[in-house]
This record gives sequence, C-alpha cells and structure tokens, in this order.
Amino acid sequence: MEGDVTVRVVFTDGLSHLYTDGKKEFEIQARNLRGVIKALDAQYPGLAEHLEEETTVAIDGEIHESGNYVQPVREGSEVFFIPKLEGG
Amino acid sequence: MNEIKSPYKFVGTAPIRPDGVPKVTGVAKFGNDFTLPGTLHGKILRSPHAHALIKSIDTSKAEALPGVKAVMTAADFPDQNFAYVGPARVQVNFWHITRNIMAREKVLYDGHAVAAVAATSAAIAAEAISLIEVDYEVLPHVIDVDEAMAEDAPLLFEDMITRGVEPAPTKPSNVARNVVFEIGDIDAGFAEADEIVEGEYKTKPVHQGYIEPHACLARYDPDGQGELWSASQGHFVVRNLTAKIVGMKLGNLKVNPAEIGGGFGGKTVVYLEPVAMVLSKKAGAPVRLAMGRDEVFRATGPTSGASMWVKVGAKKDGTITAAQGVFKFQSGAFPGSPVMNACMCAFAPYDIPNQRAEGFDVVSNRPKAAAYRAPGSPISNFAAESTLDILAKKIGMDPLEFRQKNAAHIGTQTIAGPKLAHEGYSETVDAILEHPGYKAELGPNQGRGVASGYWFNGAGESGATVYVNADGTVVVATGSPDIGGSRASMAIMAAETLGIEYDQVRATVNDTTSVPYTHVTGGSRVTYASGMAVIGACEKVIEDLRARAAIIWDVDVDAVVWEDGHARPASSNVGDFDPLSLADIAAKAAATGGPIGTSNSVAAGGQAPGFCTQFVDVEVDPDTGKVTILRAVCAQDAGRAIHKGYVEGQMQGGVVQGIGWALNEEYIYDDKGRLSNAGFLDYRVPVASDLPFIETIVVEVPNPNHPFGVKGVGEVNICPTMAAIGNAIANAVGRRMDSLPMSPPKLLEALDHRDGGEL
Repeated sequence: MEGDVTVRVVFTDGLSHLYTDGKKEFEIQARNLRGVIKALDAQYPGLAEHLEEETTVAIDGEIHESGNYVQPVREGSEVFFIPKLEGG
Repeated sequence: MNEIKSPYKFVGTAPIRPDGVPKVTGVAKFGNDFTLPGTLHGKILRSPHAHALIKSIDTSKAEALPGVKAVMTAADFPDQNFAYVGPARVQVNFWHITRNIMAREKVLYDGHAVAAVAATSAAIAAEAISLIEVDYEVLPHVIDVDEAMAEDAPLLFEDMITRGVEPAPTKPSNVARNVVFEIGDIDAGFAEADEIVEGEYKTKPVHQGYIEPHACLARYDPDGQGELWSASQGHFVVRNLTAKIVGMKLGNLKVNPAEIGGGFGGKTVVYLEPVAMVLSKKAGAPVRLAMGRDEVFRATGPTSGASMWVKVGAKKDGTITAAQGVFKFQSGAFPGSPVMNACMCAFAPYDIPNQRAEGFDVVSNRPKAAAYRAPGSPISNFAAESTLDILAKKIGMDPLEFRQKNAAHIGTQTIAGPKLAHEGYSETVDAILEHPGYKAELGPNQGRGVASGYWFNGAGESGATVYVNADGTVVVATGSPDIGGSRASMAIMAAETLGIEYDQVRATVNDTTSVPYTHVTGGSRVTYASGMAVIGACEKVIEDLRARAAIIWDVDVDAVVWEDGHARPASSNVGDFDPLSLADIAAKAAATGGPIGTSNSVAAGGQAPGFCTQFVDVEVDPDTGKVTILRAVCAQDAGRAIHKGYVEGQMQGGVVQGIGWALNEEYIYDDKGRLSNAGFLDYRVPVASDLPFIETIVVEVPNPNHPFGVKGVGEVNICPTMAAIGNAIANAVGRRMDSLPMSPPKLLEALDHRDGGEL
C-alpha cells in the first residue's frame, strides 16, 4: 500500500517455536503496527490474536506495551515481539 | 555554578500532598473502614498443613450455629478451565487462581483457605470456623527450591509436565516452566576472557511487608449487581478477577477504591474479594472480610526465594566478554514466579555481547508468589552484582569504573531482544563516582559496596477524566489507586498543562464506573501512563476553553491561543480583548455549551527503563555478626521528577526494603512446613532505628516520549541494595556472603571460618 515501508520483524525463540515454525525474522511492508500484524497474520493465520494478547512490541527499542495499532513504523525499523511486562 | 532555570512552574517542586491531612487526622478510609447497614463479619478457615488431600468438609455444625448467615467452600465457586492465558511473563491460569483463593482437592500450604463463614458477630464467625470439620490426609511437603527440583521430591501436582522444554518431559515434576534467553556465543565469549568468576547464591522469599492487611466489603444484590470496597493496587483488576472467579459480568460489578496502606506488588491480586462476594450472595447481606497479620504472612504472596548460579568473564582491561546465569525460583503453591524478569534484568545495565540466562519456575508448599517491587530483578541482581564485584577485584579495577566501562547505552543489544533505546544508566554511575562520600575513609570492620540495577518500567492502559467547575477549580479523576503520591503528581501535571495554580486542582481516584479502564498501580507506570492520560485530557479541555473564548469574543477559534492559564487573542488582528482566565470561561459554561469536562484514554508506550546505582557503607560487629548500615546513597534516573519529594520517597523506600531483604527478612518453617514467624515481631522488617538517613541523588535524563520527560521511579531502587550490602560486607570483613539474609548468625559463622579462604 502507498506509504508502506520495509521493516524487520523479530520474534523470540519461544514465540517462533509456538507460532511460526521456528522462523524468527521477517521483512514486512507496512506503515504502522496494525499493518505489521496484519501482514504476519496473512502468513500465519491466527497469529494476530496471539501477538495482540501475549506480547509487548518494541519498535527500534521503544517499548509499546499495549501494541497500539496506530504506532507508526519507519523505513528499516526493527520490530521485536517480546513477552509482556509486569511490575510491582 | 549557574543553576539552569526550570522551564516549569510546578513540575519538579514538592507541594503539600492532597491526601496528607485525611491520613494524619484519621479521616482517610482504608480497606477495613467501610461498613453498610446489616454488615456481617466474615472469617476464613485455613489449612494447618503444608500439603494434604481434602477428603471431606463437613460444615453442618457451623451452619447450625445461631448467628451464622452463610458458609461456603470452593464448591460455591464455578470451576475454571485449565488453560494458561495471556502474555508469557504474566500468564495466568484461572484453574490455579480459583484454587489459591480456596482449596479444592488439596491444600498446598500452611494457611491455604479451605472454607469461610459470615455471621452477625466476629465472635460467632470465629466459633463457626472452629466447628467446620475437615478430614485431611497429610502428604509429604517440600519448601526449598533445590529440594523441590530433586528427583524424589513430593509432587504438588502429579500431572505437571514442565513447559518450555522440547521434547516435553514424560515424567511430572515440580518444575512448571523452563525459559532460556541467549545472545551472541556464550562459549566464545568466555574463551575471550582473561578472568572468569562464578558463584552460587541463594535468596529467601520475602514478604512485601505492607502495613495494611488485606480487607474488603462486598455487597451482592438480588438483581445480580454487586459492589465492592477494597484496598488494592488496581480496582479495575480486582473487578475483572472477582467477576471471573465468581461468575459475574463486568458491568454488574462496581469496585470502589480505598486508601491503601502499602502494596508493593502484593495487592495486584485478589484473595478475599471473591470470597466476600459469594458469602454476601449466600447471606443476602453485605459481608466484610479482613485478614489478620498472621493470615497475611501465611496466605498472601511473598516474592520468590531462589537458588542461582552466575558466571562472568572479562578481559584484563575490564571489558566483560560473557555473562551467564541459571536462576531457579520458587513460585509457591502454583506456577508463576518472576523468573523471566530475573533472566532479562540480571545483566541489563551492561553491554555484554554474549549472554545466556536460564530460568526455572518451581512450585513448592508455600503461598503463591505475588509481584514485589521490580519482580524478579532484585533477586538475580544479587547474584549478578555480587559476581561482578568479585570480578572487578580480580581485574584490579574500581567496581564503579568497571561498571561504567561496560555500561549499556542507546543501541546496546539486550538479552530480551530489542536494542536499548534510552540512556540513563551511565549517568547514575557518574553521580555516585562524583559523590564526596564515595572516596571517604572507613574505619575497622567497615566496608563500602556498590551495585547497580535495572527495571523495565511499565506503561499501558490508563484513563482520566477532567472537569472544570464553575469557580475555575478543576477535578482530575483517574483510576490509579494512589500509593506513591499519584494524586499530587497528577495535580502538578494538570496545573502545569492548564496553566493554573496547583491548589486549584483536586485530584481524585474514582471507582470503576466513573473513569475509563485503568491498569494497576504497579510496574512504575502511573506517573508515566496515567500522567499522559491526564495531560491529554487537559489538552482537550484547553481546546474546549479556546472554543468557548471564541464564542464569547465572537471570533474564529483559530484566533484564540491558550497561554499561562488564559485565553488570549492570537494576534492584534483578532481584536482588542482582555485575556479570559479559566475561571472566567468556566463561569460562562452554561452560555457557551454546557459543563466543561472530558475523558481521555491512552495505551501508553515508549516508556524508558529505570536505572539505579547505589553505594552502601557498613560496619560489622565481629562479636555479634550484626551489620549496621552507616550510609546509603541512591542515584536513580527519574527522567524528570514531577513531585521531587515523592521521587525521593520512592528511592528511600526501595533502599529500606532492600536493607530488610539483605539483613533480616526470612520465613521460618517448622518440620511440618508450618510458618513459625507470622508476625512483625519475628519477621524482622527494618524500623527507623535500624536505618541511616538514606541520601538520594535524582538523576534526570528526560524521556522524550513523555510531555514532561517522566520515567517510572517506583521499583528499580530496590534492585541493587542487597548486592551493595553484600559487597560492603565483603570489603569490611573479607567474607563473601552468598546467601540472604546476611543475618548475624550467618555472619558469625562466616567470620568463624575467616581463615578458610574467601572471596
């Protein structure tokens, strides 16, 4: 889509074993986090729900705990899906 | 030196706290202060055994006692599916949660709830409890984490297969989960090292030690609606958990917050609320349920005890080449320790290219672990920072220079996956290095220790509602229970944003029906996330105020600007209008569109992690083994302190809890697995006379993702304290204490073997 950029998506070992047959890295075209998740879900149907419920997202190191759909990504962004946070 | 002028009027000041007068005059209402007409007294029967089958429960005699209005057991809760749900690190299983609230097939720890009653007086409730007959078959128990992992250990769950291991084990064990994090090549990293140090460490489970025991009041109405009053770290979460356990719709349950006498993570879960709600439903009357101190210790979440092994290698120039750890954590009676956090935080302040951290989540016959201030991080920190200290000595570097040389910066690869996006650690090391006390002389039996710590900090969902009253005062309502001074912080951010005086803002904590959903007060998230919700709501209000001024002046809204708490014409072209204050506009609210107010919600991201470095001076009494803390200095990155006094208070509080964890706090069990020290007389938390003045250095490296630069400050301050004290003791007496607490008997034993080689 117009405005899409290429980002590098990385999963942890645990997530990749659970949901992507061990594949840990992806190149995705998207403009925001929703686009990234949709593109991944197209490759692995049902993955979007797991990512939204189970992960925190780090875009270029910045943590976005709730995986806010509208969070923009930039050309070359590194998008990590990691386990969610808790605290005391 | 010229001081840089703050760009803010209120941010960074320390105005009087809005909750101060109600608390010191006794007006403030805590969890056990609420009552309704006809309120019944609830009481819970608890297991006297650490591990036993429940063969039968006979409640008939209790039910027949005059004055008893309801008796319940776990059978009165709907059972839950066995399924792990939610994100890996905070995964929950409601099959476990409902069994922790009230035991079903088995009791799994001394103090496990078995049944409950509601009666017209506390005395009748106590008598009724004594009439409930439970037929137990006592089973062997296990408490220590290493013993729980042994081949022949008694099993808490005969069908529990370790998750996270491929292929899955065929034999059940007490190991609920195994996790591994790895970056780089750990073997190659150690091969590069000139010096390698490894060690084994143990920490004890410790309680959060909040002064206020758990308490609540519940009312269940005949139409299926319910209402709760409860002191918690998150009344929305209390609502969600209670509704799920009891079987109610979220919309049918209203939860009111109370003042809270401490939580530190331990009040992010529920114990009493579902029980009180079911008792109320059965009795047809409100029920109040409160724990005694002994119940708090026997049945509520401490943090994990742990058994750990850590190995770190470095070159002669001080460059760390590899770090590895194995962390075995007690989760208590049900799976779910903070061991993943421990793995990710242990070496997080440092840029280490080759790392491996493995964690084990292990069940044992203790209360289920609950969050405690930076859950997991202080535990692995003790092992990691003690090992780093030994390594610095071997290399011959100052321990702080060693840490500074390896400090993580923006772009450092973290073991969790992403690269670090914020500075702040290095600055805390500099702050301690520059402190005049760091080089001060010490006397005999005195030593100085340093350590650093890391915590993720949280953000996420928060909501806020802002109302402008007719006299120009403003109400700021959030759903964040105020534990660390959030009402003052919210009022400061609102006043700064709106441009009005701090004392014109009244900040409140509202119930679950009157503000948008807000996640718990925990994870050092409130000033950041709820603050963003408040600031956003204030900005919406400002837009509305501009629009109202435009109506009053009969100009376009773009011709109105908001400056210093007033609507002003954007330029001289607009016309000659006197500025309108917020109060001026509020007075004309009815004529300009009605009441002024709005809500705002955020799913905040972009929070920055917390870093902290401390030094501690101790003196060890060689005759008694008693450790006296002579000095404690805590440097922490706050991003930007909103209320300076509260930030310093958080830092001091974290250090105090760390001192207790380091020197005295531990659970003592008898040979039957029963807790022997379920009270503050025998479970020794620090008191004022144990403590020096704890000096704080508020480092400010602003987070650009927050309008005022905030970083969470509630937790990381506890992370380094135990290791700093252990390192200080090693420097004072030449003995490495590798097991917490570093209590007088253990120190005496270590001193007795002073000639046996050390460090």
